[in-house]
Amino acid sequence: MTTDQDLPMDHQSATALFAAKGIDVTTNKDQGVIKVIKRAGVDGDRPMIGDRVTVHYTGKLATGKKFDCSRERKEPFCFHVGKGQVLRAWDIAVLSMQRGEVCTLLCKPEYAYGAAGNPDKIPPSSSVVFELELIKFEGEVLTGDGGIVRRIKVKGEGYTNPNDGSIVNVHLEGRCGDRLFDCRDVSFIVGQAEDKSIPLGVDRAMDKMQKGECCLLYLKPKYGFGSEGKPEYKIGPDKDIVYEITLKDFQRAKDSWEMDLKEKLDLSAEVKSKGNQYFKAGRYYQAVIQYQRIISWLEIEYGTGDMQQKKIQDYILTSHLNLALCFLRLKEFTQAVDNCNKVIELDENNEKALYRRGEARLCRNEFSLALADFQQVLQVNSANRAARAQISICQSKIKEHHEKDKKTYANMFQKFAERDAKTGKTKRRRDDSARTSFNGEVSIKQRRRSQECPS
Amino acid sequence: QVIVKSMGCVILAPLLNEVVKKAKGLDQYQAAITHMTRTCRPNKLLDCMLEIIEGIDPGAISETILALLPHLQSLLRLDEGKAACVGSTLSALQKQLSRLPVPYTEQQEEADEYGLCRCSAALTVFTEPFVEEVKRTDGNCAATAEDEELKIELLKCMRSLREPLLEAELKHDRRSPLWLFAVEIMVTLSAIKEPLPGLLFFSSLRKNILMDNNQFKEARACLAYLLFVQLITIDNFPAVFHVFILQCNMEYISQLLSKKESHLLKGLALFTKSLERVQDNSLPVSLLDLKSFYSNLRRVLTDCPIQHLRESGLQVFQVFINKLDAEAKHKFFCMLKTSNHAGIESYIIKNIRNQFELSMKWGNANEWFLGTEFISLMTLVLCLPQGAQTDLLRSMDVMESLNLLRYVLIRDEELRTNKDVWEELCRIKEEYLKMLRVCISISRAYYSSELKALREDQKLKAKARDAARPTKLVKSITVRKEKVSNMSPEVQHQVLQSALVTFDLMESLIVRIEEITEE
Repeated sequence: MTTDQDLPMDHQSATALFAAKGIDVTTNKDQGVIKVIKRAGVDGDRPMIGDRVTVHYTGKLATGKKFDCSRERKEPFCFHVGKGQVLRAWDIAVLSMQRGEVCTLLCKPEYAYGAAGNPDKIPPSSSVVFELELIKFEGEVLTGDGGIVRRIKVKGEGYTNPNDGSIVNVHLEGRCGDRLFDCRDVSFIVGQAEDKSIPLGVDRAMDKMQKGECCLLYLKPKYGFGSEGKPEYKIGPDKDIVYEITLKDFQRAKDSWEMDLKEKLDLSAEVKSKGNQYFKAGRYYQAVIQYQRIISWLEIEYGTGDMQQKKIQDYILTSHLNLALCFLRLKEFTQAVDNCNKVIELDENNEKALYRRGEARLCRNEFSLALADFQQVLQVNSANRAARAQISICQSKIKEHHEKDKKTYANMFQKFAERDAKTGKTKRRRDDSARTSFNGEVSIKQRRRSQECPS
Repeated sequence: QVIVKSMGCVILAPLLNEVVKKAKGLDQYQAAITHMTRTCRPNKLLDCMLEIIEGIDPGAISETILALLPHLQSLLRLDEGKAACVGSTLSALQKQLSRLPVPYTEQQEEADEYGLCRCSAALTVFTEPFVEEVKRTDGNCAATAEDEELKIELLKCMRSLREPLLEAELKHDRRSPLWLFAVEIMVTLSAIKEPLPGLLFFSSLRKNILMDNNQFKEARACLAYLLFVQLITIDNFPAVFHVFILQCNMEYISQLLSKKESHLLKGLALFTKSLERVQDNSLPVSLLDLKSFYSNLRRVLTDCPIQHLRESGLQVFQVFINKLDAEAKHKFFCMLKTSNHAGIESYIIKNIRNQFELSMKWGNANEWFLGTEFISLMTLVLCLPQGAQTDLLRSMDVMESLNLLRYVLIRDEELRTNKDVWEELCRIKEEYLKMLRVCISISRAYYSSELKALREDQKLKAKARDAARPTKLVKSITVRKEKVSNMSPEVQHQVLQSALVTFDLMESLIVRIEEITEE
């Protein structure tokens, strides 16, 4: 095959072309999807299930009429392959392509739009033809910060995933670079993988896995062994690592709605001490997970009678307080503030919450707000020396900033004054002297850099 | 000159006030403001204007905005680092516009009492040059960081999708000003190259949109409606998604079904349209995992006070059932049979019967509506969760259940051949009928005594009428926990009679069922 020929308009010649040169890419060989390679791709790997692939495509009906074209939109099309997001024909075909490959597909309706068709564009039970170009593919990003990327080697089955607290049975292989540092069959509890020397990234990926799935997890240090590294495995600080995980089976933990209040309270006690344990060990992410479980169980519960209600309230309060502290350590100040807010909603004069919120706000450069918080701490407990210290820090920071502002605007008025003096114009003073007072301090509103305003 | 430059902000507010009040000399005031936009420092003047917007008098929202918009536009077009300013302006304006009531009917829109339509149109005009600019730079492939920022700020237009547009009636056959506003927003989204699949299907919260998770979801729900139902810019949307569209839309439909009428209509329309591209008997069980969706749908069917919405809801409901595959249907019926609402339960039983009938047909046999799986379904059907307390009068599903049982026993000969299955069926049937008999006799006794009391009361009343004294009003009868005291005694009589008749019917059905079982 030397020349690339455009697809002929005629339905019969199209079918003939496919019959002559096409490969049936379906697993059961029912001729549902026939592929003709127009341009071979770069020899190498192929996309894996779940990968985020980028393609350009043109779709035509069997009559030759075009119904969709990504090039006309000037935008390549992205999706996750093998997950049922797109037409069945695509899920099958794209997995068989290589990077840079261009191919044409003839798809029977069962693998495309089916008996229903697409009411706006495709008549019922239509065969369709696609020209596809696979531009690139990459693993599926599981977390917002790109710290965990997954590529599925073997698709799992079933409709549920492990939740926090589930007991999972896995086979894992950990590699750093090309070196295998860990290979074993192990069971662990989701949320507590740390106890078995399994990093956070693997733990967090569990709730996206299906039974029987085998996947590769690419972890950045934050989700791996961080800046400490793992001497036992001879892994240095800040290293990227890769785990191959096979989820053999798992046992889900009870969901919130499956438990009665007594169960939840009992479990909360255990979970809380687990969280504390992680906190003491400096494993803040792990601690957060545990405390959040308590909240998810109890935040919608109402006890019968005051005793129970108080118990629930206590757990919720301490969990939020602990979370705030964890987030402070993790430098996630907004989340720290959010958790403090929740406590203050329930208990206005909670000293710890006010103090921690002050700390978080200070770190976000919201000096006046931080100051207010610390002052309130003193109101609640005048013996809190730490709060006093923080107050003076706030005050000096505020002063620093004012000095800066003053410097910036100081000369402006001086220039005006000089110019006026030269030209001899009189100033017509307006009534709203409150807005601009020329006597020293000028309060300039910094609208767009609204750090001081509560969001 | 210098005075104006430095003090301009101070006089802006009073000047604007005059414009809003449409005082005499309007042109002069306008000219003065225009002059200021040219001479004052843009940043300061902008700050002033934004301050004015934030402190708008609620009675004059639209007038103030309409007066300010052209000046804001000319200011922003001069400004170099304008992206952030455009963003803050949009936010401030949207915040105020969201306070205006949304016109719903055609008359309301034409009257435009609160000025929302005019403001929307003006807002479109306002954003136009910035959108144009973004389009231009795209073509030249020389997009600077500034342009990228502008695109991000323009994304804020999505906020308007939520307020006010979600409340408005948006139909393409009635090209109202709000419809045009909606179209403009969709056009803006494509101009800033915001890919809709990413936004609708794969999204993560963008921090600068200034909406929380829920609000962002509502905005996207409106977007889904405009795209899939009203087909605005559908040509630019990739056609290669399949059932995935329904799956993703279910989140939005669920959101829309949980609130007011204007949202509900859109939700139901989106649901209907999304189901159109799905083949019958094809949706898998995994679709049933979105529990909130089903509780919202159920609520619409049972609690919504607006009848035509309930009816439309029921229609879509049936279409949805038809699209489920056998296993999913089975699970769905199980889910809904326990919904504690007689109306829904009897509807489900009807569906079960249809499925059973279908699977009896040659070549249609499927494991979910025959044999052991079917028996598990029947177990749910043939149960009285409230036991002896069951209010038979309100349980229309009881009649349906009996009918289904009778039908199954007549039609399914195979049932008797499979010993385990047959035994199981007989067992649940026995338990059910036993309990039912108890209920019937309790209810019958109760209603008979009520009937008797009513008759006694009538006699008393008749006698008392002869006497001169005013009598007690009709003794209030409680039909279980509900009083029917405002019914006239004749109607009450009828109700009680028909109740007793119903019980007779039920009993005859039970007898018939026993007969068939013995055969």
